[in-house]
Amino acid sequence: MSTVVVKEKKLKSKGMPVDLSEKVITVIAYIFVTLLTLIALLPCLHVISKAFSNGSAVISGKVYFWPVGIQLETISKVVTKTNLLRSIKNSLFVTVVGVTASMLTSILFAYPLSKTDLKGRKFFIVICIISMVFNGGMVPKYIVMKTLGLLDSYLALILPHALSIFNMLIIKNYFEGLPESTMESAAIDGANDVITLFKIVCPMALPVIATVSLLYAVSYWNIYFSAVLYIKSSSMKVLQVFLKDLISSALSVSDSLITDPNVYSHISPDGVVACATVLAIIPIVALYPFIQRYMIKGITIGSEKG
Amino acid sequence: MSTISYTKNISTDNFKKKGKKTLNYVKNHIPLYLMLIPGLLVIIVFNFVPYFGLLIAFEDYNIFAGNNPLDAILRSEWVGFANFQKLFTNSYFWKVFRNTIVINGLKILWLFPLPIISAILLNEIKNSAFRRISQTVIYMPYFFSWVIIFSIFSSILGTYGVVNTLIASLGFERISFFMEPGIFRGLLVFTEGWKTVGYNTVIFLASITAIDSTLYEAARIDGAGKLRQIWNITIPGILPTIILMLILNVGHILDSSFDQVLVFYNPIVYDVADIIQTYVYRMGIGQMNFSLSTALGLFNSVVAFILIVGSNALSKKLLNRSIW
Repeated sequence: MSTVVVKEKKLKSKGMPVDLSEKVITVIAYIFVTLLTLIALLPCLHVISKAFSNGSAVISGKVYFWPVGIQLETISKVVTKTNLLRSIKNSLFVTVVGVTASMLTSILFAYPLSKTDLKGRKFFIVICIISMVFNGGMVPKYIVMKTLGLLDSYLALILPHALSIFNMLIIKNYFEGLPESTMESAAIDGANDVITLFKIVCPMALPVIATVSLLYAVSYWNIYFSAVLYIKSSSMKVLQVFLKDLISSALSVSDSLITDPNVYSHISPDGVVACATVLAIIPIVALYPFIQRYMIKGITIGSEKG
Repeated sequence: MSTISYTKNISTDNFKKKGKKTLNYVKNHIPLYLMLIPGLLVIIVFNFVPYFGLLIAFEDYNIFAGNNPLDAILRSEWVGFANFQKLFTNSYFWKVFRNTIVINGLKILWLFPLPIISAILLNEIKNSAFRRISQTVIYMPYFFSWVIIFSIFSSILGTYGVVNTLIASLGFERISFFMEPGIFRGLLVFTEGWKTVGYNTVIFLASITAIDSTLYEAARIDGAGKLRQIWNITIPGILPTIILMLILNVGHILDSSFDQVLVFYNPIVYDVADIIQTYVYRMGIGQMNFSLSTALGLFNSVVAFILIVGSNALSKKLLNRSIW
């Protein structure tokens, strides 16, 4: 009896400092996470604010995280008078065609590999791993492109990225986790592999298909270096290249956008770049809720052993 | 004698049966093999054919020597290891090699522990709305391209950006952050963190939520405080993920940062910012010095290959887990 009481007392006396350390950690956690969130958020707010602030406020550094003297002149001029819209269209085209091609290639590749009894499965997986760990390098790849006549064609941006091994493995792992019984019963019903894949497996794998499509979409939308390397005509410039060029020529571009020097204009070099940046971010932000919904699942699926 | 021939018969029989089985399997599953063709073509044409192009590293490659650039590889003059000799005796090579390791090493040093700490702390936040919002915000930058991030930060840190306005108002001289060799590497590390810390936090957080919650209850009953629980349960629980991520990071120490540096740097900071791949790019595509550039690229690929395969072997040994 008495020992029990002693134990309870001990627990209680230990309970006090436990509470304290928990409180301290909670406070630290809130401060730390708030800081981290602000560090991620404020730079974006700053650029958005600049895009809609008047030129003199932007130039004199008076714009922080809210627009000063709201104006839409810059954004309307940037959209109508520069090639921004054309580069957005180009990037959209590359993204839509690219995601379609990549998803088709990846699903078709992942399905046979998800069958553990596939003869030669190990061989195909080894091929994938080799291509992942050993890089042929920039110049040899460039020479292959040139030989195939793919320079200055969007195929040069799409074909090499049509199969991301990492993304394909995410799909493969998901396929492996699907209940085998449904596929077996389909096979008994006389469905062949193609029909099983598209009519039975794919509908069951919609979450992973959505995740990987988004991953591909982001990577096509963000293509920069391949476009610098392979695309030469200015009419085919993709968004990221356009934006990079705009940053280095912001001063002359903003001068060219001011049609009448005698009339006050809201346009400033920084404002022009900010507008283009905001427009480049919008698709990502629009897709983001969907990315978020599926991403964590995707990350956990992908981190499982392949 | 007879038993030996008997077993021999069986084994060849088995072998034949096995071969027949495989053939039958392939015959019955032709569509499965046809499905692999598009992906295999992509791998062969854009990954394996370039391996053949690596021969350029051992030649004095003349792109116009043949009917097409690939054919030219067979017709160019063979020079053995001359390109590598030129490379390794060039002090600039050692500079970009060092820059690559220093920049990526600094990134690991500063940015590797951060997402672990932030995941542990984020896990302590019980207010689910706050938690969800902060999680959403911190890992959005991961999906921004380097060009967008460059644009955002050059706007903030530019001559007339907010930071410099503040500096000027305090009576100091304005700083050109992107042209200051002493600051530039820090800028690379900071922006890398801005892009990736949130994403990596989510990876560690997923690993934390996978820990068995009864462990915490048991610890609480035993009177272990929060700090103790973190130290004795959370950290050991996510240790495999920590080690795996660290190994992966170190494995990629030679082939990371290319896109970022290419977008951020300029001739004024080449001294501290030029890395192997940016140098390969300028030398190969810019100056059309194909052979030397390929030699450098091959060197980079081989060392990166050794690092990655080595780190995978390490991960297999330590964690019984393969990266692929």
